[in-house]
Amino acid sequence: MLWLQGEDVTLRPSYTLRGRMPSIALIAPVAIPLATAGAVAICGVAGWKIDRVVLAAGAWLAIVALIALWAPVRSTQELGLGQLGFGTPSELRLDAVGFTFGLMVLVPAAILLTLQPRPWQEGTVAALGVAASVVAVESGGVLLTAVAGGAAATLAIVQLDVEDARAERPPWGVLLAAWLALAWVAAILQVRSGTAIYGAVPVSALTVPVFGLLAASALIASGLYPWRGWASHLWGRPALRSAGMAVATLYPLGFYLLVRAYELGDGRYPQFWMQVALAGVGVLVAFGAAARAQGASTRRAYLGEVIPGLGGFALIGISVGTPLGLVVGIATLGVAAILAACLPLLPDRGGAASLVVIAAAAGLPPGLAFGVRVLGLEATFEADNPMGLIGIAAAATWILSIIAAARAVGLPAGRGHPAIETEPRVAMGLALAIVVAGPALGLVLAVLATPAQAVVMPAPPGISLGGLTSVVTVSTVLPAVALFTPVLLLAVLAYYYGGALTVRGQARTAFVVLPGSDRLARLREGLRSATVPAQYRSLVDLRALEAAATGGGTLLWLAALVALAFAVTR
Amino acid sequence: MEPELAIAFPAVGAVLTAILHPRPRAALVAGALLGAAGIGAVLLVAPGLTSDLLGVSLAISAMSRALLLVAAASLALIIAFPPPRADRAVLLAWGLAGIAGMAAIAAAPNLDLVILLTLAIALLHAALGGRRPLAARLRAPALAVALLGVGLVFARLDGSQILARFAAIGLIAGLAAALGTLPYIHEFDPEEPTSTSPIAWIAFLGPILALAVITRARELIPTAGAVFAAMLIGLGLLNVLWGGLASWLTEKGMSAWHYSFMADWGLVLCAFGILVADGQAAAVLLLFGIVLSRLPLYLWSRQSLRESIQTDRPINLLAAAMLAGAAPFAGFAARLFLLRGATQLYWPLALVIGIGLLLWLPPSLRLGRSLGTPRGRLALGVAIALSLSVAIGIYPQPILSLAGL
Amino acid sequence: MAGCAGRPGIRGYALIADSFLTAVAAFAAWLGAATIVLADGRRGLGVGIALVAVGFTAIAWSDGVWVGGGFLLVGCAIAVIALLRAGPQDWGLMPAGSTSRVILAVAVGIVSLWMAASVTTGPGASLRFASLAVLALMAGRLLQTNAAVPALTGAAGLAIALAGASQLGPNDSGFAPYVIAAMVTAGALLLPAARSHGA
Repeated sequence: MLWLQGEDVTLRPSYTLRGRMPSIALIAPVAIPLATAGAVAICGVAGWKIDRVVLAAGAWLAIVALIALWAPVRSTQELGLGQLGFGTPSELRLDAVGFTFGLMVLVPAAILLTLQPRPWQEGTVAALGVAASVVAVESGGVLLTAVAGGAAATLAIVQLDVEDARAERPPWGVLLAAWLALAWVAAILQVRSGTAIYGAVPVSALTVPVFGLLAASALIASGLYPWRGWASHLWGRPALRSAGMAVATLYPLGFYLLVRAYELGDGRYPQFWMQVALAGVGVLVAFGAAARAQGASTRRAYLGEVIPGLGGFALIGISVGTPLGLVVGIATLGVAAILAACLPLLPDRGGAASLVVIAAAAGLPPGLAFGVRVLGLEATFEADNPMGLIGIAAAATWILSIIAAARAVGLPAGRGHPAIETEPRVAMGLALAIVVAGPALGLVLAVLATPAQAVVMPAPPGISLGGLTSVVTVSTVLPAVALFTPVLLLAVLAYYYGGALTVRGQARTAFVVLPGSDRLARLREGLRSATVPAQYRSLVDLRALEAAATGGGTLLWLAALVALAFAVTR
Repeated sequence: MEPELAIAFPAVGAVLTAILHPRPRAALVAGALLGAAGIGAVLLVAPGLTSDLLGVSLAISAMSRALLLVAAASLALIIAFPPPRADRAVLLAWGLAGIAGMAAIAAAPNLDLVILLTLAIALLHAALGGRRPLAARLRAPALAVALLGVGLVFARLDGSQILARFAAIGLIAGLAAALGTLPYIHEFDPEEPTSTSPIAWIAFLGPILALAVITRARELIPTAGAVFAAMLIGLGLLNVLWGGLASWLTEKGMSAWHYSFMADWGLVLCAFGILVADGQAAAVLLLFGIVLSRLPLYLWSRQSLRESIQTDRPINLLAAAMLAGAAPFAGFAARLFLLRGATQLYWPLALVIGIGLLLWLPPSLRLGRSLGTPRGRLALGVAIALSLSVAIGIYPQPILSLAGL
Repeated sequence: MAGCAGRPGIRGYALIADSFLTAVAAFAAWLGAATIVLADGRRGLGVGIALVAVGFTAIAWSDGVWVGGGFLLVGCAIAVIALLRAGPQDWGLMPAGSTSRVILAVAVGIVSLWMAASVTTGPGASLRFASLAVLALMAGRLLQTNAAVPALTGAAGLAIALAGASQLGPNDSGFAPYVIAAMVTAGALLLPAARSHGA
């Protein structure tokens, strides 16, 4: 249903393909990337130099398939996969949440796979990673999400290591821990309620500890930390092919879990304080990114904090617990997804492309990033008191991030990644799209975010979030088209008549030096380089321990027997 | 008569292959045909139905049958894609002998015969030769037999309740000694051929022996069932910790592999100690992983380990992921079952196991890199092992159905 | 007869299981195992394994397991012949430093006797004693020795004890354990390692 401002116009689809499209077609967005991976491998082994074409075609075809499955029906479709052996039937499900997150994964992946040349081995792994990620967001239950998400993480790590084994990558053990934790959540849900299917888990099964485990898994999976996480570290790599793909396929998954948690909890988290806590984490993530961004020494280092910063704001929005907050959070993730495609294509040099990207990322009006941030703050103020404080902190963080952006304009570019993997015009085009899409905020929310929100968090009756031209909140209306279009025109005029802008990159001091930040860095360095003091090393002589344990020692064997006997007689 | 044939065909195949060793091709053909016949007999076995052809009631359970099949598949993989400079006829001969022994253990009607057969296998294995003296090769397996025997005796004695607990100690200590897990680690010479090394116990013969001992022990000492399970879990956690840390920190590459088997067995023992269906399913999948994934990779990596080659190609990282039990490999499915079973039993146990699982990754990366750069047929073999693991990881139902779960 | 009532584990003749003969046989088995522990020479080991086999055979025959006992004897005979036909023929009884072995043999005997006669109940105490004592002593021998022949003799002793212990079970295990034990006993000492190395 679509609502236009001032008119209630109900448009029901008069023609749907529901019942015409066989449910097996739901496998297409997964099967196509899988087939693409196979085809790329065959091309590579056979020496045919068409693997990039195949990759591109496969990626875009998957998007077309996803849209073709969703658009005519626009309601939940399911494909039962039967008993895979995990105790309960598994299924694929395409609903608005799956569709939105599927686009968030597929679109940046398709752009990067099309425009960046890569060896066929990397391409194969990349396509497999895309398939795994799509399964994760199209899964009908926690268990399949855990398996697929874990696979996506594994494949992203493999891809990063294949590109450059010595460069920064996410700590594999930490990612593995996140998806193991989610697997445990699935196990607990199955034990407590007999199922881990999103739509079937009773609300009572989502207890505080279970949600805590799920939230921890989500935060770790997406690297949502106040300190520099993997999403920042990746941008320091010499090449940015695999970094972009890793962010595109992995970063949305943690947020996906938090959105699905609303479905498990029938529209809310188990306790309000958990929402506040998560929103607080969001503020810390965003603030941490902004603080690092404003102290960055190169433009590349600044750009490395863009995705985490947006992620922090998205987390705030999702955690608020209101329909508006959730919608805004999802839309923020959409912006992050476009930037995930944009940033790897941006060359490390000055120019218009860099300026536009920085402007889009910083959330300058009338861009989409500006609109979602405004609405996000609005959502926090409209929620209960603690959330209002979160909103104030978020506003301060936004100001800091704008300062960081302004500072970044004059920074030196950075180490530079290979020019062959950059497309400055496409990067600028994507950034421009974010800016230009600002007036279409209502449309973006109505088409992508609001349907997803409706699946997991039914809005109270009589509440609407607006329509194509404006967004309605509890206390006000944001006339996106009316307000942002003139600003956009002004910006265009200013750019056109402003003349060439020459910015000489030079080192700049940080705007703010956070107290204690160097102490924290020293502490971390100290922990990293810690060793056992020399006088105690004999106590932890691993070689001697190994020799004792493996020397076939009779005494050890007899002692073990005695120990066992002692243990069982207690 | 299928159980009898399941033992006889591989045994005859082993003997014939050894005799025909001077003519390698004939040896391989003979061994392959008889081995296939033996596996055919295993496939035709109706789980649980006894056969009295030889005056002894032989029966193979569903789980044993599944493990025999996976052992055969592993042997086929190793023979088809042999490690560099390996003598395929010798590998096939000893592999078939191992399968014959495993089939005999699986079919044995009682624990007495299982233990005697284990002793016979221990003697034959020690007699193969190797770099270690015979007494050293025989020591741990024979101690295992003695401990199992003492445990069995205690299980049959009437008297105080504590006798059942002593029986549990004997059986578990005996099992640990047979496998070579902590604290009964077998003496390991990295340069020793795999067929004569402790790896044969921990990775090939061990699974079927463990299954035989544990399933029969539960029937023998029902009053000490809880103690038995608790000891399995305790020993399992100890091996998870030791195996993970030692595999990561040891200086010697071959030893790292040896300890990694122990770590896997730690999980298996925990799984067997979790007396719910999910625990047994986890144990089956983990045993499949040991026999079908870890053992072939170990064999394929020995040459690279000798040459101290470490590579970081996609195949190495995928192998590392498989060894670490990352999704979508079979190890992840096993871990899921293990966590679910532990949660049903006692949720803090699941937490401890979950933390222990994180120890798998650093050593797995090391082991994956030690695979070197497999080329040609070897690369195909690694790819097949990876693919099988992925298939089982995504769709474990056929394996579980085969094992009667 | 009273000793058999309520104890289904011992089959065969309805006799008092713990007759003087079985007690002597059990003692002989222990003595044989102790000899194996204390002897490093082939003759000493041969005597030891013979005593173990004779002891368990006597117990088996007293229980009506004639065929099984026969197999044990045959297997042991082959083993003894193999021991006596190859390698240096010495006794090697109680070499220097064997005090600990003596203590082991005596201690195991005492503990096994206590377990069989006092801690456990029911008839068949002789078999229980013999099984526990021989298993424990053979395990100790295997842990202690670095030479091939004593290790193989220890393994043979294990096999014989396991076959004998199979009679403790509630169900009739038939003669299969005895056959396998006999094969193991004979085969162990026929291995090339047993022939080519000295004790």
